[in-house]
Amino acid sequence: MSSNKIRSLIIDDDPFIRDLLQDKLHQYLPEVEVLGSATSGSQGLAMINEFQPDLIFLDVEMADMTGFEMLAKLEDIRFQTIFITSYSHYAIKAIRFNALDYLVKPIDLGELKESIKRYKANIQQNKRPDNVQQALINFNTKKVSDQTLILQTQEGELRLILKNIIRVEGERNYSYIHLANNKKKLTTKTLGDMEELLGEKGFFRCHKSHLVNFSYIKAYPNSTTIMLSDDTELPIARRKKDEFKSWYERWNAV
Amino acid sequence: MDINWQTSYIDPENLIAISRGDDNRMIKYLRQFQELIPERIERLQECLVAEDRKMVRQTLHQMSPQLEFFGVPEVIPPIRRLEYEYETIPLEELKSLVKKILVQLDGACEEVKMILNKFE
Repeated sequence: MSSNKIRSLIIDDDPFIRDLLQDKLHQYLPEVEVLGSATSGSQGLAMINEFQPDLIFLDVEMADMTGFEMLAKLEDIRFQTIFITSYSHYAIKAIRFNALDYLVKPIDLGELKESIKRYKANIQQNKRPDNVQQALINFNTKKVSDQTLILQTQEGELRLILKNIIRVEGERNYSYIHLANNKKKLTTKTLGDMEELLGEKGFFRCHKSHLVNFSYIKAYPNSTTIMLSDDTELPIARRKKDEFKSWYERWNAV
Repeated sequence: MDINWQTSYIDPENLIAISRGDDNRMIKYLRQFQELIPERIERLQECLVAEDRKMVRQTLHQMSPQLEFFGVPEVIPPIRRLEYEYETIPLEELKSLVKKILVQLDGACEEVKMILNKFE
């Protein structure tokens, strides 16, 4: 067996997904060697310890534990993880927030090939598999504003603690993230993408071009304007007035 | 083996693609469908009787990748709706959606059985 092979494990309690993924890897990505398949989180832990894989394909929701609970039981994570989830799973937001790699069941071949390409690029760049570690830290961080958002950018990975983001400004297909240290970062995500990532974490899209962090709202003098602590004045879109008011009151009460 | 695919509940496109002309592989997926789906149909019926919304969601969640792979398109939108709204959707509506899904699944199971018979 060539040492260049990617040594992998499949951990999923659905026999159909295990077979399908194994067949697709075998047929189209022979460089990925499947060392074995685990049918539960606890079996997955045993197999990880036994095989020390380079890569695991991990189901988000298994009968005995979630994929994240399984990872949290490991002392050290030395492998890359590609999560397997369904289209409508609630964990998909957390996966995107932490810039984790994932495949949607029943596993599109093109997406699988892209995931393996990203895996190889990470290995070439000697990138440690610490997004998963960061995700586990985020899950245990009760205070939302202390959580860290991970974004993949053209210049590399960007990690931002939410409490340091004042606002996000949309500019067609990309966004500027304005930070508390007066710097601004460019991301290729649209404002809609950013809203999806931050919408339940104390941010509100008050206008088609602006997403604002509640923590930096200094004043809300009238129904059409917000003053921020860096003295920026942001408009509230007319159709967002009522929604903004109830969001503002809700977060004010927290 | 050349099969005359005259199906209306399932679309064999993914099955043909993964099999790549290997009958044994195709039979493996068909048999797996026959093993897993009827068992889950039964569980779904029990969930309806027990009015157990959480189990309805979980059972649908488990079967949806296989149904999507087997190209049972009619069931995917109601399954997604139930996965999202299982806690809030009115019980009668939930029951009605599940019953519609069950009709489709029965049809799909019959077709899978028919195709397997052609191999035997």
